[in-house]
Amino acid sequence: MSSIEKKIQKNLQGKEYWRSLEELAETPEFKEFLQREFPEGASELSDAMSRRQFLTLMGASMALAGLMGCRRPVEKIVPYVKAPENVIPGVPKYYATTMPLGLNATGLLVESHEGRPTKIEGNEKHPASLGAAGVFQQASILNLYDPDRSKFVLRQGAQAQWADFVAYWQEQFNQFSQNRGEGLVVLSEAFSSPTLARLRTEFLRRFPRARWVAYEPVSDENIIEGVRVATGRAQLPVYRLDQAEVILSLDSDFLTMEGDSLVNARGFADGRRVQDVNDSMNRLYVVESTYTATGAAADHRMPLQARQIGAFTAALALALEKQGLRIRVADELSQYANHSFDQKWINAVAKDLLRARGRSLVMAGRRQPASVHALVFAINNALGNVGKTVAYVEPVDKLLPNTQDLSAVVEDMKAGRVKTLVMFGGNPVYNAPADLAFGAALKRVEQTIHFSTHVDETSSQVEWHVPQAHFLESWGDARALDGTMSVIQPLIQPLFGAKSDVEFAALLATGQDVRGYDVVRETWKAALGNRNFERKWRRVLHDGIAENTQLTARAPRERSNEIARYLNANPFARDAADKDKLEIVFVASSAVFDGRYANNGWLQELPDPTTKLTWDNALLVSPKTAKELNLASNELVLAEVEGRRMKLPVFVMPGQPDYSVAVALGYGRTHAGRVGNGVGFNTYRLRSSGSPDFALGVNLVRTGERYVLASTQDHWSMEGRPIVRDADLDYYRQHPEFAREMVEHPPLTSLWKEHTYDTGYQWGMTVDLNVCIGCNACVTACQSENNIPIVGKEQVWRGREMHWMRIDRYFQGGELDSPAMVYQPMMCQHCEMAPCEQVCPVAATVHDEEGLNVMVYNRCIGTRYCSNNCPYKVRRFNFFNYTNETPEIVKMAMNPDVTVRFRGVMEKCTFCLQRINEVKIRAKNEGREVRDGEIRTACQQTCPTNAIVFGNINDPESEVSKIKQQNRNYEVLSELNTRPRTSYLAKLRNPNPELVAES
Amino acid sequence: MKASAETTALQVDDGQLIQGNPTFHTVSESISRIVEVKTTKAWYVLFGFFSSLALMFVVMIGYLFWEGTGIWGLQIPVAWGWAIVNFVFWVGIGHAGTLISAILFLLRQPWRTSINRFAEAMTIFAVICAGTFPGIHVGRVWVAYYMFPLPNQMSMWPNFRSPLLWDVFAVGTYFTVSLLFWYTGLIPDLATLRDRAKSKIRKAVYGAFALGWRGSHRNWQHYELAYLLLAGLATPLVLSVHSVVSFDFAVSNLPGWHTTIFPPYFVAGAIFSGFAMVMTLALIARKVYNVENFITMRHLENMNKIILVTSLMVGYAYSIELFIAWYSGNPFERFAFWNRATGPYAWAYWTMVFCNVVVPQVFWSRRMRRNIPVMFVVSILVNIGMWFERFVIVVSTLANDFLPSSWHYFKPTIFDVGMLIGSFGLFFTLFLLFLRFLPMIAMAEVKAVLPQADPHYYEHHGNGKEASV
Repeated sequence: MSSIEKKIQKNLQGKEYWRSLEELAETPEFKEFLQREFPEGASELSDAMSRRQFLTLMGASMALAGLMGCRRPVEKIVPYVKAPENVIPGVPKYYATTMPLGLNATGLLVESHEGRPTKIEGNEKHPASLGAAGVFQQASILNLYDPDRSKFVLRQGAQAQWADFVAYWQEQFNQFSQNRGEGLVVLSEAFSSPTLARLRTEFLRRFPRARWVAYEPVSDENIIEGVRVATGRAQLPVYRLDQAEVILSLDSDFLTMEGDSLVNARGFADGRRVQDVNDSMNRLYVVESTYTATGAAADHRMPLQARQIGAFTAALALALEKQGLRIRVADELSQYANHSFDQKWINAVAKDLLRARGRSLVMAGRRQPASVHALVFAINNALGNVGKTVAYVEPVDKLLPNTQDLSAVVEDMKAGRVKTLVMFGGNPVYNAPADLAFGAALKRVEQTIHFSTHVDETSSQVEWHVPQAHFLESWGDARALDGTMSVIQPLIQPLFGAKSDVEFAALLATGQDVRGYDVVRETWKAALGNRNFERKWRRVLHDGIAENTQLTARAPRERSNEIARYLNANPFARDAADKDKLEIVFVASSAVFDGRYANNGWLQELPDPTTKLTWDNALLVSPKTAKELNLASNELVLAEVEGRRMKLPVFVMPGQPDYSVAVALGYGRTHAGRVGNGVGFNTYRLRSSGSPDFALGVNLVRTGERYVLASTQDHWSMEGRPIVRDADLDYYRQHPEFAREMVEHPPLTSLWKEHTYDTGYQWGMTVDLNVCIGCNACVTACQSENNIPIVGKEQVWRGREMHWMRIDRYFQGGELDSPAMVYQPMMCQHCEMAPCEQVCPVAATVHDEEGLNVMVYNRCIGTRYCSNNCPYKVRRFNFFNYTNETPEIVKMAMNPDVTVRFRGVMEKCTFCLQRINEVKIRAKNEGREVRDGEIRTACQQTCPTNAIVFGNINDPESEVSKIKQQNRNYEVLSELNTRPRTSYLAKLRNPNPELVAES
Repeated sequence: MKASAETTALQVDDGQLIQGNPTFHTVSESISRIVEVKTTKAWYVLFGFFSSLALMFVVMIGYLFWEGTGIWGLQIPVAWGWAIVNFVFWVGIGHAGTLISAILFLLRQPWRTSINRFAEAMTIFAVICAGTFPGIHVGRVWVAYYMFPLPNQMSMWPNFRSPLLWDVFAVGTYFTVSLLFWYTGLIPDLATLRDRAKSKIRKAVYGAFALGWRGSHRNWQHYELAYLLLAGLATPLVLSVHSVVSFDFAVSNLPGWHTTIFPPYFVAGAIFSGFAMVMTLALIARKVYNVENFITMRHLENMNKIILVTSLMVGYAYSIELFIAWYSGNPFERFAFWNRATGPYAWAYWTMVFCNVVVPQVFWSRRMRRNIPVMFVVSILVNIGMWFERFVIVVSTLANDFLPSSWHYFKPTIFDVGMLIGSFGLFFTLFLLFLRFLPMIAMAEVKAVLPQADPHYYEHHGNGKEASV
């Protein structure tokens, strides 16, 4: 097996690779491998997910991987000698798998073209996906084809073999077996996996004196600790936002960046979806320390320094108590009665929460300390929300992250008590708190091993580096937050011969080099039972989940005394940061998360939902603070926190709390790869283990140096134009047609008889702005589906980003310190009277009979007149040959159904024409009409809130037609008589009448 | 001979047109000599300089073809930048030539004779510069021929609704007619040069281009008719070309482009800038080549009057644009113009207003109209202003259109600047070649406006011959 992989990894370029595959096919090892991989009777299965098919496809994928190397196929192309069953070349297959991310796991369906995974979509059956996929899931396909992934086992930087490492570890294994693991430490990432949990248990059984701890730079650690304080059990909250009528978020970006945000977003949207004036919608209050997508969705938003959130929560508890709610810990909070917050605001929120007792929800974010979470538990419990809008599950099969464990390990490392340190994933040299000086401590450890996808900052300082496989090439398993079990199923052989997590863990725990497939099945045999195992197993593989494996979500009992004691021991900060003592807040990047996605170009180029910055992290400063400190965007300041200093660019961000600056983590990588190296600034260098989330006393010194930040949206106001149309719910009830009434124009007439578009399919789309949360999932899905190139920071700065779909973000309201924010996904509107078509001199953009505005790339000569005449500016031009330098391996991520565009041509959203045609062909073959909902565009498919609906507007019964009948439906710039096929449902806000009257 | 006779008849009371009291011979002598004497060092220096710029232009175009239009500062939303600005600018420059040669010819304005030749030459070269830009500006130059209605196996025609296609025809026609017109006018002078030529090569080359001109009555008759017809053909083109160029903007739906005033406004602006350019060139040429007697103060003053008139027209257009934007009640339209004057491109807008509207007002004064340094400075400022007018129209409109989310400030690159300079290099290179090898003043026409050309001249004035009779 390993020798095969060695051969595979030797060369990925066309000719030799192909040849070695031929050779491979003849070797006895390969034959054995095939035999082992094809269980008896597999050929009888007609199941779409059959293993046999899968592996045959994998074989084909290897062949194709080789052939990708040539622009024109000069190689001989060999057809399937024996065509695998059910494989039609050109027709993709979908397989279910799971993407793990810390304690979370998202079920996915992955599109595979002849064994080559190309596109990720959500798995409707999986409770953490519900059919949606977020930006990280969508973009993870690009990580699979990252050419900078580690390709070899390295020993002291020199190439070695997996077999060498196995031998080395077996030696270590035997040594540690004698001293029961004394001096052996495994430092891993948090996980939620039955197999990994089993192997960890096995490991600790064999080496009782060893330790296996987890560190995550961004995690739910505080939440779990808060729940532990409040209930005595370290449990995880599961929110049911669809049940909540009144929601208060305390520094929680639950819609995009917290755990299970896809489910949260769906629940939130379901509680907010309005079809008519009689529908109700939930109300969201957000108190937050930096502007987030959740803050943008809020009906009332209050910017507040992160350190003040605790005191605010206490003030809220007191207000609730005052209004008659018995909160037992409130007695301990009297010291917070005097505060500087808007008492009226707090009273109104408290009243609202009380009104919706049992149907309200208070949630606090990851950044807030355990004390806040404990108090939030008490509030929710008093409001009767626990068990209704929030429930708690045991962290079964999970390894919880703990920074204190890391600190303890580092202490031991420094003291020389750690003999062998195995770093299982993660990148502690880069992302461990700066005060721990992990890198220095590492030098004191005799034996160091790092298992990681890249030769990263940590790998370059260790003795052994072992390449870690991507989840799309690994066997594994996972538990979703609610406990539902699912299998991580590989879509392809490891491209670079890396080892999967379970294989590595199995080696650690047993000293045996075993196959991941067997290890996972062993776990699942225990879970599913031996009876009918194969059938159940295949069912799990097919569905992507094991049914009825979710854990019971409970309403645990509150330990009020413990909470009170904890709050007394860890009081909330009562003073606010001020001009001389600023607060700094560390947030996870909406693009690269904690830095793990730094080498992913799609994510680097993804505009932040609120700042619209790409390719950088910046110090977000409120306008008032910037004015007082004399700072401006695009200048470098020297930031000093607890004696640690670094230069950071300033970005003035409205809605940021005064005297509190926020900065994203995850940038400034030095060993990320060709994309991520040197992008942004490594703010981990400012972060300490004592205050990892926010710290007081940052000092900013102007340097006078300029630094260019590349934002995709320079203008922030709508200039009073009715582009995003919104109203308060009450206003809407009085003026149901307000959206259309916002524009008055003379009758739109035409000089000639217009095409009627009244036969056949007529495609149209609606976007519900009321539930769009601006999360960017659609943007990434579109990028993946339509082979959209990344262009780099300089090009984005010039204004040449290629995204076919963008999320326009506008600020609303007069005050600069806390403006409201609205989002509008903007892509080709497929105007029936398309201005672009009229002006193209060569008729390269024309209308088809189904109402689509289509681009003929072959005909386009690139005058760019169409873009000038497009009122929506959704057309994108290939100013350079952006795909020229795409590494061969990245080309495997391309969708074969979509043309890769050359320089000099215009491109734009096609309404996923390839998907339309695929379904039309299928329907035609089956002699039927296309069913409503059968065609789903990439953006629609992945939207966590189902804001996007696509279909045939010529069918009055289709969902899209019905939505277009709704009274909030409007078309942007319809006064230009463009007659767009894409329409929007106006946004509604549901403010608290008490707070509205005030302002 | 009829036309000529009439022209001459009009000349009688206008003996001041050509100064220095030249004879037919001295006219031929002083103008032909310019192309016959040894090339001066100054010419070589200038030619070396400008042809280097032209070479830079060519190299940059090569790089553009190699890399793509991204080397310019273009982006979305400003997908047209300096290349289109330069295109409109150069087409505008060309207009004065046609106006002087065709319209003033038809209107029997005899003062045009001294300046029409190099005004026409300027037209040709300006249109060459102009025509370069749309050609190189497309994303895929190698298929730019899709613009032409060529029969092909796909039965694919260009889109006749697109103003860009109209542009192709308009500019193509304009160039062709201008070239023919210029060449036709050159024939008698080429024959003169042929007759004076001393070297074989000169004789052959000029001879070939003179098309066997013998100066016979029949020759003159055909010539005059052809010239008149071509003048008639060229006249509507003066109006049509820039009208069509303005359609590129006016036919689109962008606030700031979509205005009905554009065709006349563009034509007026074109004449304005064209005359300014003729002025700049004429002032230099008459000094360097000692043709002050041919291009007299009267010519210059007339041109200054036209500059003043067209400046007023342009100024009127600017103000009526603002008025209509306000009067229309269209918020996009209002914003577009308000933004021009006060937005991020206000500096360009006010540069334009200053150069095009304020500066030419000095010509209300006769003293200023006849002051050579003043008119030189004004002519250059006017061309700067007119370049900025096109910049304001093209860039500021695109940069701030309907959806504020896509607004973006245009940042030119070194290639934008380099290609503008390079196009001037090309223009002056061609112009220097023209000065070196072709008669810069239409000798035959000038002779026709001399007093001696009047058939009755000798009856009134007499000469030595008469005395002897």
